[in-house]
Amino acid sequence: MNAPADPVLDIRNLTKKFGEFTALDNLTLSLRRGQILGFIGPNGAGKTTTIKILVGAMRPTSGAATIAGADCVRDARRIKRLVGYMPDSFGAYDNMRVREYLDFFGAAFGIPRGARAKRIDEVLETTGSGWMQDRYVEALSHGMRQRIGVARTLLHDPEMLILDEPANGLDPQARIEMRDLLLKLAGIGKTLIVTSHILPELSRICDVVAIITQGKLRAFGTLDQIMRDLRQKRTFEVQLCGPAEVETAAAAVREALEPGEREGVKAHATESLVRFDTARSDSELAAILAALVGRRIDVSQFREIPKDLEDAFLSVTRREAPAA
Amino acid sequence: MIPVLSREFRGILRSPRALAALLATAVAFSLLVLARWPAGGIVDLSGAGSRGAFLVFAAALLGGVLLLVPAFPASSIVRERNQGTLLLLFNSPISAVGLYAGKFLGVLAFAGLVLCTTLPAAAAVYAMGGVDPWQQIALLYAVLVVMAILSIAIGLLVSTRATSPDAAVRVTYGLVFAVAFLTLAPHALTRGTTGLYATIAEWLRRLSPLPVVMHLVGQGGAVGGGLLEKDAGVWQFIVGGLGLAAVLAVATILQLDHRLFDRSRDAGTITDDQSLWVRIVRRLVFLVDPQRRKAGIPMFFNPIMVKEFRTRRFGRFHWLLRLAAVCALVSLLITLAATNGTMDWGVETIGGLLVILQIGLVVLLTPSLAAGLIASERERGGWSLLQSTTLSGWRIASGKLASVAWTMLLVLAATLPGYLVMTTIKPTMWNQVMLALVSVLLAVAMTLALSAAIGAFHSRTAAATVTVYVVLMILYLGPLVIWAFRGDPFGEQVVRGALSITPLGAALSVIGMPGFTQYELIPIAWRIAGTICVASLIVYALQVWRLLRPE
Repeated sequence: MNAPADPVLDIRNLTKKFGEFTALDNLTLSLRRGQILGFIGPNGAGKTTTIKILVGAMRPTSGAATIAGADCVRDARRIKRLVGYMPDSFGAYDNMRVREYLDFFGAAFGIPRGARAKRIDEVLETTGSGWMQDRYVEALSHGMRQRIGVARTLLHDPEMLILDEPANGLDPQARIEMRDLLLKLAGIGKTLIVTSHILPELSRICDVVAIITQGKLRAFGTLDQIMRDLRQKRTFEVQLCGPAEVETAAAAVREALEPGEREGVKAHATESLVRFDTARSDSELAAILAALVGRRIDVSQFREIPKDLEDAFLSVTRREAPAA
Repeated sequence: MIPVLSREFRGILRSPRALAALLATAVAFSLLVLARWPAGGIVDLSGAGSRGAFLVFAAALLGGVLLLVPAFPASSIVRERNQGTLLLLFNSPISAVGLYAGKFLGVLAFAGLVLCTTLPAAAAVYAMGGVDPWQQIALLYAVLVVMAILSIAIGLLVSTRATSPDAAVRVTYGLVFAVAFLTLAPHALTRGTTGLYATIAEWLRRLSPLPVVMHLVGQGGAVGGGLLEKDAGVWQFIVGGLGLAAVLAVATILQLDHRLFDRSRDAGTITDDQSLWVRIVRRLVFLVDPQRRKAGIPMFFNPIMVKEFRTRRFGRFHWLLRLAAVCALVSLLITLAATNGTMDWGVETIGGLLVILQIGLVVLLTPSLAAGLIASERERGGWSLLQSTTLSGWRIASGKLASVAWTMLLVLAATLPGYLVMTTIKPTMWNQVMLALVSVLLAVAMTLALSAAIGAFHSRTAAATVTVYVVLMILYLGPLVIWAFRGDPFGEQVVRGALSITPLGAALSVIGMPGFTQYELIPIAWRIAGTICVASLIVYALQVWRLLRPE
């Protein structure tokens, strides 16, 4: 049994090439037990390739990946017991009720019949899907299917769950329920890798985030760490008491900034505010505020606009775009 | 209508199977003419060679229409509905009639194209002499066009009702084959009698293109011991076929509206949660209640096999019981009709009919179950889930095969009462029956293995089902066509060789079916079937292993 501090997932220099094309380039990252990793990147970035290597469906060209000490290539059978994988397609079978569907996958993992029935009850309870156990799988809505998909991955009680786009296509209510479910799973000690294009959702639940583009890991760490790493300029807003002094305030801010930053100063008379981006230090920003007050401009707020995962993602992808 | 027609026709032409169909037809018919063309500067003044070529040409053309055309309309509407594009068409100014006409004419245009590729061969047959261009060749094409129209009408109707393309393909092929072959059965059983049943049987026979084509090639009495006698009724088939197609077209058009989407999700009613009264009634009505909550899969059962049974509508136990009951009934009815008929059939002919019934069931049912074993998993995303379980390739492959094998054995077992009646009438036939049954079992094994192997190379169930049907029809019907034309143009050796390919000929021969008794096909037919079976199983296993391997 790994100690909680030990990495459950350890990826080292993972590379996958298809002929001349490099789908995954020297990926290295690790994840501790109970953490949720948000794995994000544009389409074709290499997320699914990484996941397929982790679940043993693909062999890396070089590098290694271990889950709870089991090598993803050499210990493929052990990996299947350690990992619960939910692909982006559900994999419905016709004429099968939800309970029969879960029973089949439980049997496929070799869970004895008695224990299986109990386990099915447990996973249905965990995912809040007990009421749909007699429904036909093909008749489930998308949100219901996602829940059953998660229930299916939990059947054999794996250490790690890999969920490919679990919130994709869900309505707001179902998305909130899915978010709560994932947090609940992390709470009971499961380690999760979650890919999603809905970045605000990921930022709310992830302990760590990995941003990958063109097969390369561009950023990895907590959201705060990533923001700090990516942050070259911060965005500030000066909220004024009225629109009359907006232009005066904008001029004062321009004067205080470096010539290269002056073009970024925007005056919004309708909102009575001035917005600008700068790389200046906090003490220099204090000087700007002092200059505004010194000119008797009525400043009601001077605030930094917090950046989120979406900004980080866009920042990384835009930075890499010219290379593409 | 024009946009739908244009898209349908282009869509078909772009598909690899359409290209393969066109190329295969052109090459096959060119080879046919080359094979029959007078060699060494000797001209056949009697026209026998030309008539022989025309006979094979017509049979191949009919086979081509029956095998190639139904696949396209069958998946046409249901695929659009599942992809969501049918709803877009409903929201466009195109009417239901325009939509139907577009799809119908699109497929018909393709069928016409396939027939056009055979025109040079038809011209060559005519040039060889002895064949009337209007009374034979033109009428043959007219009959084939009517059969194509009927197949398309059947396919589109089934496609409107089906929930998946593969189910639509299966049902369409079943219905088209029923029109072509099964419609001859009542006439065979009522031959020599008069009255209402005989009249109905006679009219049913008029729907089959087989007697008409045989009549046109001058072989009216060749097949089935007079079953396809000279009074074939070419015009009756044309009028009847077009009339039936029109009725089917109206039925389809009436369904092409919003009601196709106006269906609620199944609420998943379960008997266990019903009132005591309902539970008692259902216990009395159902031998096996399909709505009872199932127990878990026992540990000693292959979960894949159980899953395959449960995911098939007709794999559920209550359906299997019904299917077995129908087979038993048909088997006994054939025996009863044959023994009580006015004509003296002879026990051997009854046995032959039972063998044909069994092999017919094998050829019709096995591909529908086995062709999609792997393809359906790949198509619907189940394969990656199976890959992520701890199931070995062996368990997956064997579980899937076992699910089909048990179904087919159950169906065949249900046809055994007919043999029982036979051996009661003539106990000396016991050994023959045993040998025939071994042949039928080999046919099951061979068909199953071949279907599974071919299907495993496809990622779409509908395509897999079509391919398997085409291969099996060629394999099973080809030798029978060659046998039907024994003597002219096919010699004894050719017929014997052709009948050895499948165990059908061996079963008919050993049971003593008239026309087959002179061929000694055991053990060569068994060896060939066994070899095909083993080779197919190896290919199937290798393909499963390849698909399960990490990329």
